[in-house]
Amino acid sequence: MFLRLVADSFTRRPRRKVLTAAALSLGMAVVTAALSVSLDVGDRLASEFRSLGANLLVTPQADSLPLEIRGVDYRPVNRGAYLPEADLPKLKTIFWHNNIIAFSPTLEVPVESRTPQFSPSSAAFVKPEAHGHEVLIGAWSNHEVRLPDGGSFVTGLKQTSPWWSVAGSWFDDAKAECMVGRNFAKKNAVVIGSPVYLEGRIPGQGLALTVTGVFSSGGAEDDGVVAPLRIVQQYLQKPGQYRKLLVSALTKPEDDFARRDPKTMKSDEFERWSCSPYVSSIAYSLKEVLPGSDVRVIRRVAEGEGSILTRVRALLWVVTFAALLAAALAVGASSAASVIERRTEIGLMKALGAGSGTVGFLLAAEQLLLAFVGGGIGYSLGTILARLVGQRIFGIAPAPSLLVLVAVLALAAGVTLLGSAIPLRRASHYQPAPILRGE
Amino acid sequence: MPEPPRDNGQMFWRIVRRLLGANRGRLFVILLALGAGAAITAALLNLQVDAKRRLTTEFRAFGPNVVIGPRDAVDSDGSPHFLDESMLKQLPDRNEGAPLAYAAYLYGVVDIATPPRERDQRPAKTTSVILAGFFHAPLGLSSVVPAALVDAEEKVRPSNARRCEVGQKVATILELRTGDEIGLTSGKRKDACQVYELSAVGGPEDSQVFLELPAAQALFEQPGRISLIQLRLSGPPQQIQEQVARLEQRLPGVEVRPIRQFTEGEAKIYSRISGLLTATVVTVLLLTSLCVMAAMTNVAMERRNDVGLMKAIGGATRRVLHLFLAEAALLGLAGGLIGAAAGIFLSIWLGKQVFGVAAQPRLIVYPVAVALTMIVAILGAYPLRRLASIRPASVFRGEA
Repeated sequence: MFLRLVADSFTRRPRRKVLTAAALSLGMAVVTAALSVSLDVGDRLASEFRSLGANLLVTPQADSLPLEIRGVDYRPVNRGAYLPEADLPKLKTIFWHNNIIAFSPTLEVPVESRTPQFSPSSAAFVKPEAHGHEVLIGAWSNHEVRLPDGGSFVTGLKQTSPWWSVAGSWFDDAKAECMVGRNFAKKNAVVIGSPVYLEGRIPGQGLALTVTGVFSSGGAEDDGVVAPLRIVQQYLQKPGQYRKLLVSALTKPEDDFARRDPKTMKSDEFERWSCSPYVSSIAYSLKEVLPGSDVRVIRRVAEGEGSILTRVRALLWVVTFAALLAAALAVGASSAASVIERRTEIGLMKALGAGSGTVGFLLAAEQLLLAFVGGGIGYSLGTILARLVGQRIFGIAPAPSLLVLVAVLALAAGVTLLGSAIPLRRASHYQPAPILRGE
Repeated sequence: MPEPPRDNGQMFWRIVRRLLGANRGRLFVILLALGAGAAITAALLNLQVDAKRRLTTEFRAFGPNVVIGPRDAVDSDGSPHFLDESMLKQLPDRNEGAPLAYAAYLYGVVDIATPPRERDQRPAKTTSVILAGFFHAPLGLSSVVPAALVDAEEKVRPSNARRCEVGQKVATILELRTGDEIGLTSGKRKDACQVYELSAVGGPEDSQVFLELPAAQALFEQPGRISLIQLRLSGPPQQIQEQVARLEQRLPGVEVRPIRQFTEGEAKIYSRISGLLTATVVTVLLLTSLCVMAAMTNVAMERRNDVGLMKAIGGATRRVLHLFLAEAALLGLAGGLIGAAAGIFLSIWLGKQVFGVAAQPRLIVYPVAVALTMIVAILGAYPLRRLASIRPASVFRGEA
């Protein structure tokens, strides 16, 4: 009988039930879309922030103090320490290897351009006087690193410094090519495709490289030249060595716990610390696989990133919460309306001897059924919506999550029950007679 | 159709009043739905306007994003080029409603003499280090110099001794601690200062020593000279570009260089976040209004009986429709007003939660929210149009 009553109520006035279910599914679609996007957005935004480049800097621990002004290191070549390139594949073996998204070793040497230039006064090509104090940076452009587990990983400056804009193309790591900075190109009248001659501190020993592109970085590199690391190593007679390593890692914003000194932590605290991808704990594990290195967090990038990420996450949660609230109120209101309009029916049932409990139970069952149907439809609608939003903004759709489905169904049930509870409570005080008389 | 007589107008509003007052419970419910919609609309619109502006201020955490320096860093004989200190006076005072944050640096190489120490029999030695004379404005809070430097200024009480902030790497290699005395030599000039050890910042600053600008100018014999200026321009990416162009015009003969790592990165992040925010807010608003509409439709459907009765006693379809649309509009207005008032508090609270500062209420947002709610409420009553075809008789016979 109970089931028949419920079924009857659905078939007798289908349009009204459809309307209530529609309100419910729309509301739940908002909640689903907002929840899926918010759950997913943290990781997406963190990788977005990698367009700021590296957040970790590795230098040799035994290094002497760099005498660097505007990007040119004035130390003699034989001073200072180097790190072995052979250790680099180990970066992808640390616990957080999936969070290391790019790294690039560099080796710098001060050079001067001796490219012959056309002189209008003598109508001939002349070698310019050694005038510039420029820097030649050896780096990877798009280098394939063989990993110990047999795989490979492609990385280089292209990944760690995504903001560089290049006219022409990047150099090939295996060829005697180079890219020149914007200012260097202007000063030395460099043409893409033609060679440049660079000379270091020792006269007579030079390098001839083909220019493949002119880059603009907005930093000190604009005054210099970037060439394959191997060529600079050969030139400096430091095969397989580098001096600086830029690492770009996905991190979690640091909190007070993350800033504590790992030496003062108890063992369980240390475990928790090293199992969270804080920039400081990644720095710690890098130091362990790169012996003789000094790993520093680039505070400017890491902290700016952390504070903005925290804010944006909070913002999204607030918007999600607002969506939840609005949807809950609207759904609650429409389920309340659907109970209020059934005064006559409630009166009749009570007149026929049904107790307030039975009536409430019947209505609650109906509302729950509606909630699950509406919630289910809303979830599918919301998932499609979240895909659209995710695709549009990040190019990747958030994966549908079971957690969201459970949360949405629970919310739908809770809100409809709560929305109908208030009118139901009032309905229990109804006197059947006046209602049936139509008063 | 002839214009209704005057007393009919009175009748019209009386019926509307009765319709609204007929069922208090339902009135409350529908006002709740409409009010919630309006409150969310108002609060989100307010937050949306405010958040984009605040986001650009948050980017201050990345430090300076523009460098002003001489066209060529070095002369043909290798001696460095300088800027004149008077250039600082030509910078604009304000940027985006806040005082412009800038820092001026003078770089050079000094020999640091560390005195012998008896404790661990460390001999006296000299090491070459980069010394940066610096000055920054506004004092106190600053977004252009590393936070460690600002801390040093605040923490250390001014004393008679000259203070120099020593980068963490320099301090480690030279084994210097806060309070040690060191001697600085550049050419024939000598100076001495008391060490303050900075915490690590992960940049070139870690291997530099910092001194007040006038003292550094005296030490390097470069009075009134600086090597470069770093500044922070805030605002949306477009505006930063315009400001850089204006600075270039104002300061001829120097290079105004945006630090592309930050300007481009920020522009990218800004467009992503504001896109995300707009998409979420639009979605929420759209679906909130659909929810409200569904609730209104529910109410409209109940009016079948009333419509039937009115038509039976001779009400013209158009007048009956006007009656219900007026009811819907009134509901929308009331719900919108209640919601907008609640929205003020909601947006203040949301602003505090997200940015720690209450969002400034923007007055334009509230009329928009009220108008939107009214439109949604009237649209929600739209299914009533179908009621025009209702036959009174079939309603009274109880046919669905």
